[in-house]
Amino acid sequence: MTLVETRPGHGEPRPYHFPAFRRHRLSNGINVITVHLPQRELLTAVLVEAIGAGDERPDEAGLTLLMARALTEGTRSRDAVDLVEAAERLGASLHAEAGWDALSVGVDVPAGRLDPALDLVAEVMSEPSFPDAEVERLRDERLNDILQARADPRRRADEGFIDTIYADSSPYHRPAGGTKATVERIDAGACREMHLRQFDPNRMTLIVGGDLQGIDVPELAQRKLGGWTPSATCEGPRVIDAAAAPNGHRVRLLDRPGSVQTEIRVGHVGLRRRIPDFHAVSVMSAILGGLFNSRLNRVLREERGYTYGAGAGFDLRRAAGPFSARAAVNTEVTVPAIEATLAELEGIRDRPVTDDELHAARDFLVGVFPLRFETPAAVVGAISGIVVHGLPDDELARYRDAMEAVDREAVTEAARAHVRPGDASILLVGAADEFLPALEAANLGAITVEREPAA
Amino acid sequence: MPIPTVAFSDERLPNGLRLIIAEDHLAPVVAVNIWYGVGSKHEVLGKTGFAHLFEHVMFQGSAHVGKAEHIALVQAAGGTCNGTTWLDRTNYFETLPSNQLELALWLEADRLATLPAALSQENLDNQREVVKNEKRWSYDNRPYGSWVEKVLAALYPPSHPYHHPTIGSMADLDAASLDDVAAFFRLHYAPNNAVLSIVGDVDPAQAREWVRRYFGPIPANPVLPARLPDMALPETLGGEVREIVPDRVPLARIIWGVRSPPFGDTRLDALDLAGQILAGGKGSRLHRRLVREDRLAQDVALFSMGLVGGASLTCGWATARPGVDLERFEATFWEELERMTREPVSDDELARAKALTEADELGALMRVEERADRLSMYATLLDDPGMINRMLPRYLAVTADQIRDVCASVFVPDNRLVLTYVPAGAAEPAEAAA
Repeated sequence: MTLVETRPGHGEPRPYHFPAFRRHRLSNGINVITVHLPQRELLTAVLVEAIGAGDERPDEAGLTLLMARALTEGTRSRDAVDLVEAAERLGASLHAEAGWDALSVGVDVPAGRLDPALDLVAEVMSEPSFPDAEVERLRDERLNDILQARADPRRRADEGFIDTIYADSSPYHRPAGGTKATVERIDAGACREMHLRQFDPNRMTLIVGGDLQGIDVPELAQRKLGGWTPSATCEGPRVIDAAAAPNGHRVRLLDRPGSVQTEIRVGHVGLRRRIPDFHAVSVMSAILGGLFNSRLNRVLREERGYTYGAGAGFDLRRAAGPFSARAAVNTEVTVPAIEATLAELEGIRDRPVTDDELHAARDFLVGVFPLRFETPAAVVGAISGIVVHGLPDDELARYRDAMEAVDREAVTEAARAHVRPGDASILLVGAADEFLPALEAANLGAITVEREPAA
Repeated sequence: MPIPTVAFSDERLPNGLRLIIAEDHLAPVVAVNIWYGVGSKHEVLGKTGFAHLFEHVMFQGSAHVGKAEHIALVQAAGGTCNGTTWLDRTNYFETLPSNQLELALWLEADRLATLPAALSQENLDNQREVVKNEKRWSYDNRPYGSWVEKVLAALYPPSHPYHHPTIGSMADLDAASLDDVAAFFRLHYAPNNAVLSIVGDVDPAQAREWVRRYFGPIPANPVLPARLPDMALPETLGGEVREIVPDRVPLARIIWGVRSPPFGDTRLDALDLAGQILAGGKGSRLHRRLVREDRLAQDVALFSMGLVGGASLTCGWATARPGVDLERFEATFWEELERMTREPVSDDELARAKALTEADELGALMRVEERADRLSMYATLLDDPGMINRMLPRYLAVTADQIRDVCASVFVPDNRLVLTYVPAGAAEPAEAAA
């Protein structure tokens, strides 16, 4: 059998540019961005505002996410079922949600039905009714979800980790959906009040992507959304507290007896999206724990078989989100896995990246760029990110050039500036008794063990 | 919206490799997808989990590719890749910038042709540990995680190839030897057991040339197709099987499974629409009744896993709110399913379900990776890649009577497994923990 030993090269890449988009402004201040994507008949239209869980006062933790979900539970003209059915008849999926940084109401709809679909978006954004019974139901659902999160070792580890690394004053120390204490207090009145306080057309952007041939989006948007005036009580944006917990480097173990794996989180407060070295940080974290052959995954999975997957990265929010290295490992190897993780966090600082590592990461991030934007939803999502983080309009257009310019020095600088194992906390969810002695012997810092109260 | 049609070519190499090519020059992207006609249904007792373990081994190198280098090369080319194993099949796929097509084809051909050259005890041992951790992460260390294994074990008899889960058992994984793996490869991994689909910004003539060059020399395996035991099954289970499963969960959950028509049967189309109407979103019957109105459920789900060997598996669940009476909870659930067996759904419900299905299908087909996978799927499981263009029209042609008929044959008391997961230590299983 003749086999071809020589690895093939590649042809010339077809030129690709992130789609151009145009800006308009409605009479009430709403920004409109249109991006024409020929032959993409399933449009995505999203109305987004940079208001999210991070903007909440401590006593209202979880309100933004719940309020966002409640937007589609009834308006002045329609109840929840009418709304859903109206959307479904259009073959549209109408969704309202919020996260740490932003809130959005969106619809994916065939091009021919954008007009009625925008009616639904406008209705939901501007005149939600927040029926008492529906808000109560959503509140109970979130309370039950909190119970489920505690029983799920992955979610429990995530929640324990942020609680450990952030100061109590920071909204980032608790889940975006709030805690039992704060969610219990949520009612329809709170939703209405937040709606009045936070929904400001002047801070909203409608982004529409897809085949817009023959559709005058600004005219349509002006008719559907342009008449909405902001309430007198609108607040401006706040500064988000992302302060680190004062206790510094420590090990916190949440006992889960009988666990066959330990969920490991190692890290500290990280970075926000708007940083001057964003591209170097992206390359660095791909090398450390983003690519399949990243240092962490190579060692923990492909060499030692400790885990199905190990990774690390920065959650870049409007303020500094967490940096974490993470893996779920079989209980028996918990301590060696932690040590190996810490070694890589040291290593990205002390063992500079090789040319091979640099190219692997850079080539991936540059090469995969066009693949990320196959659908209108993906394109609209990316533009939404630009809007929410206040990035320049050409951010995506110049992405690949900026990536190509990252060199080994920039990666090492980024690692030394932003990966700080000396400041890291370690959060573990697992069967404490199986590895506690080994953990103590490893001298990783002060250990606290939290066990379930006896039944 | 007019239904877009996927235009494709379909041919076989002399060695039996089926090659399907579909052009789409809208984006500078190409998807490569290869389905092998081997799944966990080809495993025998004592050797479960092999198909999936083997899928992992496929990424461990071949004669001209190092350990984990397949993924490294694809990522460095600006691509993504993965593989998955299921009961009926194993698939491998890469999506890359279109100028990197040749590399993907060369990589797939090299491992099909020469994998045994790189097969080593060290790599096998390593991936065995990885797979065992995958099992722990996906099933053993998860609330409600045992449900998949239980549903399969109850709905398919012990002698049936679908009886055991694809992930296998720890004992069988530990027992897997290098010889086992080599034998598995020799039997199942051959060009005449493979469908290769290439979709996207591709020059078909150039693609064919590369495929011939790299795959052409690989010999067919004349022993294929591998023998399988008779997979025929009665349409119904023949009874109701019930199990209470105490688990480390805060909320009780009823998980159920039923036998349903096999993949490709038009009755399954009607059942898919029934699934939309019953649980496909906030306008669905189960959501409205259980979640919204009666406030009994935290969440509901219903979906079918289309299988070709005897019967598909339709399953779902409803998670009970705290303090809910589980008997009443379950009764309400079956009441809604039984209503579907008696009364035809309304015109409006049917229209909405079809609109949602259409949006789902069109959304999925927008991506070249998904298009390539479906072409391979229809070719492998139904010997009919053209189904990619006929599936949506089939859904849109389903009538309310057809929905009622298939529900009447599937949602019957003697065709179900009912698992009730309850919080461990709950004194009275009939009550969800308050």
